[in-house]
Amino acid sequence: MQFQSQAVAKPYFIAAIGLFVGQILFGLIMGYQYVVGDFLFPAIPFNVARMVHTNLLIVWLLFGFMGAAYYMIPEETETELFSPKLALLMFWIFLVAGALTIVGYLMVPYATLASMTGNDILPTMGREFLEQPLITKVGIVIVALAFLFNISMTVLKGRKTSISLVMLLGLWGLAVFFLFSFYNPSNLVLDKYFWWWTVHLWVEGVWELILGAMLAFVLIKVTGVDREVIEKWLYIIIAMTLITGIIGTGHHYFWIGTPEYWQWFGSVFSALEPIPFFMMTVFAFNMVNRRRREHPNKAATLWALGTGVMAFLGAGVWGFLHTLAPVNFFTHGTQVTAAHGHMAFYGAYVMVNLAMISYAMPMLRGRTANSGPAQTMEMWSFWLMTVSIVFITLFLTAAGILQVWLQRMGSTPLGFMAAQDQIMIFYWLREITGFVFLLGLVLYIWSFFCKKGEAQTAA
Amino acid sequence: MSETFTKAMARNIFYGGAVFFFLLFLGLTFDTMQTLPKRDHRENITDSVVRGKHIWETRDCIGCHTLLGEGAYFAPELGNVYTRRGGPFIKAWIAAQPTGAPGRRQMPQFNLTDQELDDMVAFLKWTSEVNTNKWPPNIEG
Amino acid sequence: MINNTRTSHEIHATPPGDLAIWFFIFAELLAFGVFFVAYAFARAHNVELFNESQQHLNRLSGAINTLVLITSSYFMVRAVAAIKQGYSILCARWIASAIGLGFVFLAIKMAEFHEKFSAGISLSTNTFYMFYLSLTLFHFMHVILGMVILAAIMLKARNGSYSPANHTGVETGASYWHMVDLLWIILFPLVYVIR
Repeated sequence: MQFQSQAVAKPYFIAAIGLFVGQILFGLIMGYQYVVGDFLFPAIPFNVARMVHTNLLIVWLLFGFMGAAYYMIPEETETELFSPKLALLMFWIFLVAGALTIVGYLMVPYATLASMTGNDILPTMGREFLEQPLITKVGIVIVALAFLFNISMTVLKGRKTSISLVMLLGLWGLAVFFLFSFYNPSNLVLDKYFWWWTVHLWVEGVWELILGAMLAFVLIKVTGVDREVIEKWLYIIIAMTLITGIIGTGHHYFWIGTPEYWQWFGSVFSALEPIPFFMMTVFAFNMVNRRRREHPNKAATLWALGTGVMAFLGAGVWGFLHTLAPVNFFTHGTQVTAAHGHMAFYGAYVMVNLAMISYAMPMLRGRTANSGPAQTMEMWSFWLMTVSIVFITLFLTAAGILQVWLQRMGSTPLGFMAAQDQIMIFYWLREITGFVFLLGLVLYIWSFFCKKGEAQTAA
Repeated sequence: MSETFTKAMARNIFYGGAVFFFLLFLGLTFDTMQTLPKRDHRENITDSVVRGKHIWETRDCIGCHTLLGEGAYFAPELGNVYTRRGGPFIKAWIAAQPTGAPGRRQMPQFNLTDQELDDMVAFLKWTSEVNTNKWPPNIEG
Repeated sequence: MINNTRTSHEIHATPPGDLAIWFFIFAELLAFGVFFVAYAFARAHNVELFNESQQHLNRLSGAINTLVLITSSYFMVRAVAAIKQGYSILCARWIASAIGLGFVFLAIKMAEFHEKFSAGISLSTNTFYMFYLSLTLFHFMHVILGMVILAAIMLKARNGSYSPANHTGVETGASYWHMVDLLWIILFPLVYVIR
């Protein structure tokens, strides 16, 4: 750790991992509800569990991004953070607001929560991923602005590297496109159209800038490759991301009432979306092969390489699988989408956060890298989680293909629930694999407390 | 000068490409906004439809169902439920939940009034009339 | 391989200009390429509609525009040749002429679009017009982007920022401009002529 103020990243990372555990537990509850429908009903209906599952994911990824920014930016700009106190204050506000929101979801019926929190003044709730009460949404904006102020001021007074500029641009974009979550017209088609401006332009737009900046930072640190080289590839990759991804939004505009030409625009551009992910994989491996130093933190390198590969598989390949309009006509709104969502989010955003945490946490705890046994344990957790997400994806893909076949093709299509009953075996397999994932996560956390072996302190 | 590959040019391409394609996206959005009234039949959005959408949102229906294919995949597609089942069935179904059948997926009881049920149906009816380029592939959704 | 005396006849070992622009060119060609394939695919399913609608396109203005762009591309070749011999002002003038022809292209194209839009044709009229308008408008925007790039290079050339030893910028802009030209050379026969 080169700057004192980087220490504020630590609580952010700890909170991120804590919420990650919560996300997985609720995922397991939902997975079980898929096979035993009345599990925990009516205490935790499926829609509540799902809200908690997806909202926790978003919140912990945001904690990860913010922690990453607080760790990276001082080192990149070679100056202390503008205000570490503000960063800590925002940490507690965000954590408490997040926790209260989750408690609200679990304790109060959603309609009551809505009327308690001013949803009648400005209705924004009840849309997928944007279920947060109005006051939480406003809170997110306030926290994001304070955070951006803090980071931007730091960049302004320090060295302006490409990595810090890209990171900043991604974070500002994140805040700007979140504003569309406040726009909820009574016309459902318009509602959906602009809902994607938050959702798609986040995950296939500005978040990828954040992802790229974080990955580039970790790669510079663990490989020692020249900054010039890494930064110019970063620019090329994120250029490709936005060139393909912005119009790629069109792959969500096939069947929601929007004009037919989106089928062409969406198909053409999103067919190209795997390219930047492929470049990212090649880039990560190339940089590691051309490394000019042997960094003792092998686990961080593994996570960084894993990000490239799994983001390409999950976002690139699994995205492409169902992005062409004639295919999507059949797969839209089935388990195929769920399969893609799981691997893409894990491969891109979960893994890049874990790569950053894996690199930064030892530093924040006063060492260059964890001990050998601790790293071995962490690598085991890498493989357990990664392999289980691959299998979860495969099972869901199989379920999705069967669902399409049974429910949407042939002369005597089955009804929704009848088709679901036929594919139950894959939901069981998915749930069992989910427990393996949890095991990996437990091992991951355990590796932080591993006392065996000597931690490496030499820089 | 056998090979030139500068960071400045890479950066220009990033900014230029991003702005260029965002402008194209805005252009297409503009055209979409002009075209939509013919496809979403907004003249049919009555107060009842508006209230129905509000009920849809405040019960977090999207947390289990899909609507025009978007949402959760735990329960049936409702974009075309009006054509599949008809208004009276929808009302009776919502009012009868949960089924309580052991081991089966359960839908909560929302205690909607008759007026609210009518609003819900109005919203689903309007939704089923949106021009979705013939999606879903069949009546089962 | 820094060679101050190289001529315009020299064969490049690597693509001319900055490698970064070639990633961009690659992405653009791919996007257009996929669009062209999609056009062929859609046409195969609807030959009659495509042939009928094609009758209403103005092939004369398309042909003139082809000549305009090819000439403009030639001017950029002269601009690169000029800077290789150290003539900054001459280079800037050639670029200015290329940009000028870019304006001619835009003007002719706008007259064509005006005619179509006045006839009430839009992206949603039919599949043929969807492709016609998408491809030509998409290309139209590329012409504008190309002109912006050329203008930036022209200003730098006029300020004497380039020299025979350092003229990557001019080649970079020329490469992009040639791509814009190339796309039109494919687009014009594909959409206006072939039936």
